[in-house]
This record gives sequence, structure tokens and C-alpha cells, in this order.
Amino acid sequence: MDFSRNKLVKIAVVVLRVALGAIFVYAGYVKLVQPWQLFAAGIAEYEIVPLWAATFLAKTLPWFEVLLGLMLVIGRWSRTSTVIVSGLLLVFFSMMVRAFAQGKDISCGCFGPNEMISWKTLLRDGSMLAGALLLTVLAFRNRRTAA
Amino acid sequence: MKLIALALAALMPCLAATADVDKNKSLGNPSAPLMFELYSDFMCPHCKVLHETILPAIVLDYVKTGKAYLIFREYPLNIPQHANARPAAVYAVAAGRIGKYQAVSDALFKGQEQWGMTGKVWETVAAVLTPEEQKKVQALAKDPAVLAEVQRDVERGMSAMVNETPTLMITYKLKQQPWAKWADYSFFRSYVDGLLKK
Repeated sequence: MDFSRNKLVKIAVVVLRVALGAIFVYAGYVKLVQPWQLFAAGIAEYEIVPLWAATFLAKTLPWFEVLLGLMLVIGRWSRTSTVIVSGLLLVFFSMMVRAFAQGKDISCGCFGPNEMISWKTLLRDGSMLAGALLLTVLAFRNRRTAA
Repeated sequence: MKLIALALAALMPCLAATADVDKNKSLGNPSAPLMFELYSDFMCPHCKVLHETILPAIVLDYVKTGKAYLIFREYPLNIPQHANARPAAVYAVAAGRIGKYQAVSDALFKGQEQWGMTGKVWETVAAVLTPEEQKKVQALAKDPAVLAEVQRDVERGMSAMVNETPTLMITYKLKQQPWAKWADYSFFRSYVDGLLKK
């Protein structure tokens, strides 16, 4: 009974990890096929970072998202990848909540340029953050148990 | 055969775009390498900001230099808060028929807050027209051809997946790219200048 429960949890963790990884790969890919200037302008709409930083992020972040997504899908370096993904999602989610609270009518920039920040996008990104945090906790716990 | 059909399908939006352009609602050289189609709504605050701050720079940098042909497209949003957007678009198109599109569109954006609240669209339009022009525009605003032109712009925007205003559809070498991010003009300029270097 315990064995099958453990197995189920393991399967659920793998599904969550692969799903989150695939979402990250997709998010990066969608940005890479658009002009980087469009993503940079989207970052600038948040009015948090200076223009040079928006340019830098627009040129590098999509590649980083693809790399992190692949790391999650493959399942190697899981502690590193889950910590970084959780940190990134925490930053994204905080930025979105801030913009939403300020009443900014801007797109979230999560999967391309045409998705306005709403309760729906907040719920989706919040769920992704919760999933990433769970994976991080499990990645560290599993390592400790194995040791 | 399949390739020819695909090529034709890719060409269609561009060919159609230039075929039905109301000359009074466009600026610049129709054979310029770039085509900009600006989808806007007279009741949208972001459209007002674009019209009054960024659009003059776009005209100066790309239209007056012969790099782009700019077409104004009506895209009144079908939401209760924008109930007067379509009548405003109809008056603007009607005014365009007598060469007064720019004057009326400037007046509509300038007085957006007032007529948006009072609903006095016609008063705003009439203020920039002579009594004779007013009569013509009022008659033209009832013309089915003018109403159809507004509807055609809306349908064109919908088929081009325009889902926010203002959106500038950039067409270059048969490739279309919608642009709706106006936080900083430098990113738009960087993208368009990059296109022209290709």
C-alpha cells in the first residue's frame, strides 16, 4: 500500500516537473520567435527596470527559460533548476501582482505580447509558483533522504 | 500547386490592404517599403496618448522620409464603455470623404474625455468644420458606404487578430508584425530600422 502511494507521488512529481519544464520551454520559444524589441517594450511597460536592463532581459531571458525548461524536463540538476525556476516565478508573480494592484492595463508578457494581466493570469502563474516551490522542497528532501 | 496557393494566401492581406485604402485616411507614399496600418478606437485612452505623442514621431521618422505608408484603420471596441466609439469612427470616415479626416481625428482625440462622458460626439466633430462641411459630413455619416468602410476596417482587424488598441500592423516584404507596445518609442524604432536593413 505504502509502496504504491510512494510510486504515485513519484509519478505526480515527474508529471509536474515535466509539465513545468515544457511550459518554460514554450514560454521561451514564443518570445524567441517574436522580435526581441517587442518583449523589451513589454518589460518596459512594468516600469521597474531601466531601458538598458529591459533590452538585456529581452535578449537573454527567453534562452534562459528554454534552458531551465529543458533541465526540468530532463530531470538533471533538479535542486539547482527548481530553485532558479521558483525564484524566477516569484519575481514574475510579484511583478504581475504589483502591476495589477496599480491598475496597469498591460500584458503580462508570459507567453508572448497579447495577454493582459488579469485574475486568470495571476491564478495561472500563482499555481505555477506553488508547483515550483513544491518541486524545490521535494528535490531537497529526496536528496537528504537518500543521504 | 500547393506552394502557389500558399504564396497567394500570404500575399492576399497585403494586396487587399492597398486595394481598398481611402486616400484621405492615409499618409505617405503608397509604394514605400513599409506599410503601417494603425488600428485605433477614438475612446481608448492609450490611442489618444499614441496619437498625440508617438504618432508625430512615427510620421516624421518613417512617413515623411518615404520609408512607410501609413493607413488609419477604425477599430471601435464593442464594449459598453465605448458606446460612442463607433459613431466617432463613422464621423471621422465621413469627414475623410471631404479631406478632413486628420482634423476630425485630432479633435476627437483632443476632446476624448469630454465627449466620452457627455456623448456629444457631433459637437466635437462640428467644431472643426465649416457649416457647409458639417452638412456634407452629416449626410455622409448616413451613407451606407461610409458605414461599410468602418465595418470593413473592424473585420480586417479581427481577421488580423488585433486584440488591443492601439495596434500598428507593420507589413514589410509580405511579412506582418502587429505592434501594440508603446511604453518606449525606441524599441519600435529599433525593430523597424532593423527591418529596413534586411
